[in-house]
Amino acid sequence: MAKITIDDVTKRFGEGDESIVAVDDVSLDIRDGEFIVFVGPSGSGKSTLMRIVAGLETQTEGDIHIGDELVNQLGPRARDIAMVFQNYALYPNMTVEENMSFGLKMSTDMSADEIEEAVTSAAEMMDIDMLLDDKPGELSGGQQQRVALGRAIVRDPNVFLMDEPLSNLDAKLRAEMRTEINRLQNDLDVTTLYVTHDQTEAMTMGDRLVVLNYGELQQVGTPLECFYRPANQFVAGFLGSPSMNFFEGTVEGGTLRADGFDFDLTERMQSAVGSRNELVLGIRPEDMTLHDRANSGHEFEAVVDVVEPMGSISYVYLQARSQSHEQTFIVETDGQRPISEGQHVYVEIPDRDVHLFDRASGETIHQRQLGDDAEMALEEQMKPAE
Amino acid sequence: MATTDSDSATASQRLDKDTREKLITVVRHTILLTWSFIVLFPLYWLASMSLKPPGTANSLPPDWIFLPTVYNYIQLIQDSGFVAAFANSLIMVSASVVLVLLIGVPAAYVLSRYDIPMERDVLVWILSSRMLPPIAVVLPFFIIFRELNLFDTRIGMVLMYVSINLSLVVWVMKAFFDGIPETLEEAARVDGATQFQGFRKVVLPAAKPGIFSVAIISFIFAWIELLFGLVLTSFEAVPVTLFVYSFIGSRSIEWGMLAAASTAMIVPVVIFLIAVNKYLAAGLSFGVVIKE
Repeated sequence: MAKITIDDVTKRFGEGDESIVAVDDVSLDIRDGEFIVFVGPSGSGKSTLMRIVAGLETQTEGDIHIGDELVNQLGPRARDIAMVFQNYALYPNMTVEENMSFGLKMSTDMSADEIEEAVTSAAEMMDIDMLLDDKPGELSGGQQQRVALGRAIVRDPNVFLMDEPLSNLDAKLRAEMRTEINRLQNDLDVTTLYVTHDQTEAMTMGDRLVVLNYGELQQVGTPLECFYRPANQFVAGFLGSPSMNFFEGTVEGGTLRADGFDFDLTERMQSAVGSRNELVLGIRPEDMTLHDRANSGHEFEAVVDVVEPMGSISYVYLQARSQSHEQTFIVETDGQRPISEGQHVYVEIPDRDVHLFDRASGETIHQRQLGDDAEMALEEQMKPAE
Repeated sequence: MATTDSDSATASQRLDKDTREKLITVVRHTILLTWSFIVLFPLYWLASMSLKPPGTANSLPPDWIFLPTVYNYIQLIQDSGFVAAFANSLIMVSASVVLVLLIGVPAAYVLSRYDIPMERDVLVWILSSRMLPPIAVVLPFFIIFRELNLFDTRIGMVLMYVSINLSLVVWVMKAFFDGIPETLEEAARVDGATQFQGFRKVVLPAAKPGIFSVAIISFIFAWIELLFGLVLTSFEAVPVTLFVYSFIGSRSIEWGMLAAASTAMIVPVVIFLIAVNKYLAAGLSFGVVIKE
């Protein structure tokens, strides 16, 4: 039905020297029926890019195709899209039913009976059929959310656009709606663009992630691909909670000298590094292990700064004993492991879980290893993306 | 034993709580009643004055008990000058309210939604029309009206009332439109509405409480206007305020007639208020969540 092609799209706000580049030369092919998540910190251009696809903003340069049609000159109403806004944007003066039928009245020749039927069936799907006569002001946040989604699906559009639709819900409801949107998208099989700054939503919802930062495309790939095979240090740090630990260091004869510890590069790492010597070592908190005493000689000594018990696991904030600056790193441990602030422990960084990045450009130089099964599964996932 | 003690303790506490609540209710009602009396007494005074027979309206000490008569009102209705002035005012003020909304609301919308060069200055310029005291501009207006053949015409007075209220409408409605999220119009456009349809079907209904608020305030401001009516009309376009004022003579004041005419003047405002009350009470909940 509708693939979306974004070709070299740039958006600048303002003119001359004071202009701000919100989207910087982004190109992207979105397949029909795909669930794409635009993810990035605030100011990354993710919402702007979506609004360009919606026709609510006009790109400064580049082309947008929806289906096979070039839509650069078309307004939102001609693009056959439906959008869910962060603040829901329900029409306050209309009942839920009127809210849901407004788009059909505006954009189709459907008879009143057909519209009513479509609204009822969408309302049943969203479990809001008993709210049809209420005004938005009488609904709870979660119900408004459902109405906003219902208003979008009743249109049966070519493309769904969702701009941080869950960010105003409480944590429990957010998790529920996440599952529901996933289910809806699977059932309806409509091409969906979803904007979020929440990396949990990004990881759990999308077929593919589009990671953006400062308006530039950082990586496009499946969630696991972006997680395990980050294209650069930004993606590595942005996905995963808590974030990946980064240690800046300098290579001296096969050893990375970081602040507080030395790390011996494996042969594979050394060949990947080549002649570079300013590196960043990245490792996720869950991949590091803590020991009470040194046993293999690969560990370094660290002091516990803060412990955050989460129940089944704990996050331990540590500082290397001999490091010169204040910065801490995080290690995930078993929640039942007794550990307290000020305690001395030995930290092990397993070779196979280490990422290496170029310090200047942030580009990934070396990726972590995965188990054979995981590696194969990941490559399988990455194939259609090529 | 212990159980009984604690039971009786809770009972006495409950009693205390009940007494306290009753006391609060009594105090609250006393305050409200006093306030109501302060507010309503002048109205009562006016109404009772209008219902007293001629000559006794202003007697001191006041006749608290008297036989009410509608003599003053009958006199008033039979006075063709009063009926004409009342009709004049109704027509001129209503027309001015419609006109000021037709000009002011779209202007406020444009100022709120579009990037207007020097927007701040435009707003202050609009407000500046009200910065001079009316007495300072009334004579220039007299000359302009005479030159433009607007003197003593209803159209002239309508324009006058519009100029009095336009800045109010633009300023209040701009703030109101600023409070209506732009995503509402965007949602309408995505739903297939044109920009104008979005404005008419979504924004305007959402702005209803604001529109009715400025309408009623504009109505009142124009309805009670006296100074410009005094200078800019003579016979044809005399507003009701001027007619009421005519009961204050140089030698005597016709208190009964003055009170009856004033009471009659209140009626249209009250009717208008009751008619739009439902929209004023609708409040400002837009069914959207403010971005955190």
